[in-house]
Amino acid sequence: MTATLPQFRRRASVAIADERLQQALDRGTGNFRRARDVAFAELPDADGLRDHFKAIRTATLADLGTYLQRWEANASAAGTRVHWARDGAEACAAVVEIAARRGATSAVKGKSMATEEIELNQALEAAGVTATETDLGDWLVQMAGETPSHIIAPAIHKTREQAAELIGRLAGRVMPEDDIPALTAAARELLRQRFLDAGIGITGGNLMVAETGSLVLVTNEGNGRMATSVPPVHVAVIGIEKVAPDWDAAAVWLSLLARSASGQPLSVYTSIVTGPRLPDDADGPEEVHVILLDNGRSNLLGGEYEEALQCIRCGACLNACPVYGEAGGHAYDSPYCGPIGAVVTPLLFGLERYEALPQASSLCGACREICPVRIDLPRMLVALRRDQEERAITPWHLRWLEGLAARILASPRRLRLATGLLRWLQRPLRGRRGLRLPGVLNPAGDRALPALAPRSFRQMWAAGELEEAGS
Amino acid sequence: MNPRAGERGPREAILERLAAAARPTTLPPPRIWPQAFADLATRFEQALTAAKGEVRRVADLAGAWETVDGILDEVGAKAVVANSEPPIAGMDLPARWPERRCHIAGACGGDLRAACAAADVGLSGAAAALAETGTIVVASGPTRSRLVTLLPPVHVALVPLSGLTADLFTWTAARNASLTADAAMPANVVLVSGPSKSADIEFTLTLGVHGPGRLIAILYDAD
Repeated sequence: MTATLPQFRRRASVAIADERLQQALDRGTGNFRRARDVAFAELPDADGLRDHFKAIRTATLADLGTYLQRWEANASAAGTRVHWARDGAEACAAVVEIAARRGATSAVKGKSMATEEIELNQALEAAGVTATETDLGDWLVQMAGETPSHIIAPAIHKTREQAAELIGRLAGRVMPEDDIPALTAAARELLRQRFLDAGIGITGGNLMVAETGSLVLVTNEGNGRMATSVPPVHVAVIGIEKVAPDWDAAAVWLSLLARSASGQPLSVYTSIVTGPRLPDDADGPEEVHVILLDNGRSNLLGGEYEEALQCIRCGACLNACPVYGEAGGHAYDSPYCGPIGAVVTPLLFGLERYEALPQASSLCGACREICPVRIDLPRMLVALRRDQEERAITPWHLRWLEGLAARILASPRRLRLATGLLRWLQRPLRGRRGLRLPGVLNPAGDRALPALAPRSFRQMWAAGELEEAGS
Repeated sequence: MNPRAGERGPREAILERLAAAARPTTLPPPRIWPQAFADLATRFEQALTAAKGEVRRVADLAGAWETVDGILDEVGAKAVVANSEPPIAGMDLPARWPERRCHIAGACGGDLRAACAAADVGLSGAAAALAETGTIVVASGPTRSRLVTLLPPVHVALVPLSGLTADLFTWTAARNASLTADAAMPANVVLVSGPSKSADIEFTLTLGVHGPGRLIAILYDAD
């Protein structure tokens, strides 16, 4: 997976030309945004709650090792088996080993970003374990051989006709396209059997609570609840940054998570898992494993990018972002797309591989405005661009142009000369709606730049042609 | 996953990196967001109804059982699974519903999982209920099955008015206050705030994806 500048431009151009996708993105992100605003307006002091949460996340990350060890001790005491993984390969190996020891050949998966990140499905497949996604959107995407394109609406890019075709193929009958409840009922039936047959249930985790050693998981469909309750073994993969010190902090976390994601006061199911079934419990998994995933996260601690680890993966910044709203999730080619993806993807998986992502932003600040943790994503996007410059990842011609621009903008005389020159050069390109740039300067082929005015503001001011404001 | 003696495993390596980045820090003092609801039951009903759940309010436990009878008739329930917890434990269900198959977790032998998978209705109590969000809290235990409230298409919960608390903050505060040194969390606690739902296909809301498509809370006065 990579996103170089030409790759990002090409994928974004395809998305922009796809009318149905554009409608789906407008509708989806618009719905989420409006619902989120209504939910926050109902809170007595939403801004105070966000400030408080920011303080909790900042303080927790500053002493992450202590809280993780407290969580580990309490989780182990409750019977949870805790594993640590430095990278995706170690995490996958741990899951494969558990499946092999239990002789499991089929796994059901609840919605999880971390397992997308480590490409667990491929590792399980290679080890002879069939993994079925059970979040409806993730399942459709898996059957289509694609990847999710939104953090909480993975199949935002799929139409009802495509859903009917995919479900019908598995059900062995033609599904009605216009009956979404019937499609859902068919999915329930098909996936229910998978849950009952599965040897292992795999989930992510929304947060851990150190005080009780609990793992907390939220879903609306119930896939998380099923995966943690039906199979004999439950394995969760979760990033090391997602720990809350105590239940007071967890309550703040949960009261912001669903409101930011979908505008719900709470998701339908908030599952709190504290160990496997107790000896006399009526039912439940015999084993619970939690795999604590580092995979580059600890590199960010203590530096200017630590703030990115405060993210709770609500997806609100995707819904606010004008670039995501046009380019869609697949342009980023990462499990984490949108503004937060543009920051964490290069940080976790390499700036060289994802050189386009820090550029995939207008730095408008909408993501920072909407973030429940007030993460300053624009600041980090600019810092990543600086890193690209310093590490010479930016192509030479762009670096040359940027250097030239810096020198021109630093001197009024040079700026005057340059704009005079450009005013003369733009003549052949002038059209009715502005400048039509040729070839490489207009990669998407659909942009018109406003032309430079015949006279500059300075010239008009000096000639006394401007009235003072208010007079 | 445990490293062999002398070999530094992933746990030690990660913790070493975390320790190197650690700085002195203090958590902000806990803050409670007081939500003043004039009447907890009314708020609970509004919130759960808004989340597509159903609320039936009755005077007392006898009224609650009559409501359950009515729901089973309406659904045409042939098979019922139930948790043997208060206030259900005090009721002889097979005698009350001789025409329906009843499986009671913690009181019947046999295959609980198969019974839950085949049941038309799952009946439970509630460990607590949150007014703000219309949430009922179900917990696991010897007589409390995870699957009774999860696998059937309809979940009916008997919720005493005394179980209502304002919100997530008052619930965790009450939990903190009641904790003694050896009182552990149940292995599985679920906050249920409506029927199972999805909008994954073209943002069209549908109910009953994996969990129950109907959630009915019967609010009754236990006194």
